[in-house]
Amino acid sequence: MAERYPGYDVLAKRHTPSWNEQTRRVIDARLALPREPRFLSEDEFRTLVAIAARVVPQPADRPPIPVAALVDHKLEKNHGDGYRHAALPPLREAWRRGLGAIDQEAREAHKQPFHRLDAPTQDAVLKAAQEGRLAGAAWQGMPSALFFSHRLLRDIVLAYYSHPTSWNEIGFGGPASPRGYVRMGFNRRDPWEAAEAREDDEAAARQENKRVR
Amino acid sequence: MRSATLPRERVVGVTPTGGAALGGLALIGFAALLLARRSAVAKTARPLARVVPKLPEPTRAARPLPEPRPQPPGLPAAVRVGRRLNQASGVLAVAVLLDSAVEHYRGSFENKAMISPLVSSALSIAASLHGVADRRVAAHRARDTVYAVAGLSGFVGTGFHLYNIGKRPGGFSWLNLFYAAPIGAPMALTLSGMLGFLAERVRDNDPSEAPLVLGFPAGRAVAALAAGGILGTVGEVGLLHFRGSFQNPAMFLPVTVPPAAAVLLGCCAARRDGAPRLLTRWWLRATALLGIVGVGFHAFGVARAMGGWRNWSQNLLNGPPLPAPPSFTGLSLAGLAALRLMEEHADG
Repeated sequence: MAERYPGYDVLAKRHTPSWNEQTRRVIDARLALPREPRFLSEDEFRTLVAIAARVVPQPADRPPIPVAALVDHKLEKNHGDGYRHAALPPLREAWRRGLGAIDQEAREAHKQPFHRLDAPTQDAVLKAAQEGRLAGAAWQGMPSALFFSHRLLRDIVLAYYSHPTSWNEIGFGGPASPRGYVRMGFNRRDPWEAAEAREDDEAAARQENKRVR
Repeated sequence: MRSATLPRERVVGVTPTGGAALGGLALIGFAALLLARRSAVAKTARPLARVVPKLPEPTRAARPLPEPRPQPPGLPAAVRVGRRLNQASGVLAVAVLLDSAVEHYRGSFENKAMISPLVSSALSIAASLHGVADRRVAAHRARDTVYAVAGLSGFVGTGFHLYNIGKRPGGFSWLNLFYAAPIGAPMALTLSGMLGFLAERVRDNDPSEAPLVLGFPAGRAVAALAAGGILGTVGEVGLLHFRGSFQNPAMFLPVTVPPAAAVLLGCCAARRDGAPRLLTRWWLRATALLGIVGVGFHAFGVARAMGGWRNWSQNLLNGPPLPAPPSFTGLSLAGLAALRLMEEHADG
């Protein structure tokens, strides 16, 4: 697939007016995240890595976004959303219980831990969770459908799109502060935003994206 | 992400210049009526005299007319005042050039026509410089053409700006009046053109006689235009400073000082004697100064935005417009020139 924002690299703006000390600190910390779990157990983390690979599969031609590590970081800091579905336990408890339950369901149905299953079988387990068909003892009454949509899907996608690599993919300019938007109308672009390639003219966008600052 | 940053982005922005459309036209119309009556009294044979009833003038007849100032040696008054009007037109054109350049760059020159005020105001500046340097009596055809084009493109620009406001979701809502193309800005170009045009008409007089423009005493005509222009500009400033919540008390200055100047100037244009000319002169000077001080305040506004002047490429576009306030300076200079004309010619 042709790149949609060819030549755009959000990290190239590091020393431009678009970033300040605070921006650099936050992004550096996010990029320097350790790849090992600090909150989840090894088993839980392996399950999470396998689930993330099915929810947000990544291309092989670039360093992958450490989705599981980002989720683990959120759990370690216990960064809740400030709200939750009343039928779900708090953030940490929901993840612990959900990961354990999905792995348990895999072991019961397929005689293997979740991360050892092949992709279609993993998808089948996740689909069953999404449709609320999993209700083993390991769930301890937590509805699997709610866990899937309110916790698993949400946190994994948020983690994926919190990473600069994904910003390059979708042409996101990165934090608006301290720069701010000037051109607010529809289909208008500030000089620090990515230029989208038109089908017939990729070179123009590539040229524009070199100047993004 | 966008909507989260939206309010800050839009606190400040576009050009408080010109908005003379209604105020200006109404005032010019009013002044024209007055002038018509006056010249009817003087000559009695004017066709307009039949339209406008003769009013009794009890107090005016009783008081003696002030002595006309002695003519300073050198250039005839028409040329001196004409050059000052060229200058006033030029100052206004500089404000228009810088302001439209910044704002239309911000608008990415999305419509090709957005280049036209830059061209027209640049030509006006050239014409005004030429006029200031020119000590000859007669009007100049090239200058006249440039000024006429400026006057027209301001009107056309107003049309484009109205179209821009109207096509946005919500149409002519307060939101769009605040954030779409500024409705009054193009009229500043028209005012610049009209001042320049009047400059040429003032020069185009027999030096020994009181200058007339289009049959009206020149001083009064220029005063009426300047007063109307100031009031229109005040309308635009009021709209945009209201958008900025008058967060700095100094933001009240350009909606209080210039209107008083416009009223005083209007009085001087309407009355031959007893007009507070000295007060008007100093008030106009204060208004001219305010136009320059305003640039300083706007520079302070840019510094207050996140990143301040270090983030200038952002904050110059997003902050209060630096070139806008000198519009008041240009119009005040025109008012001062008009006062001079009225003083040098009893019915000037």
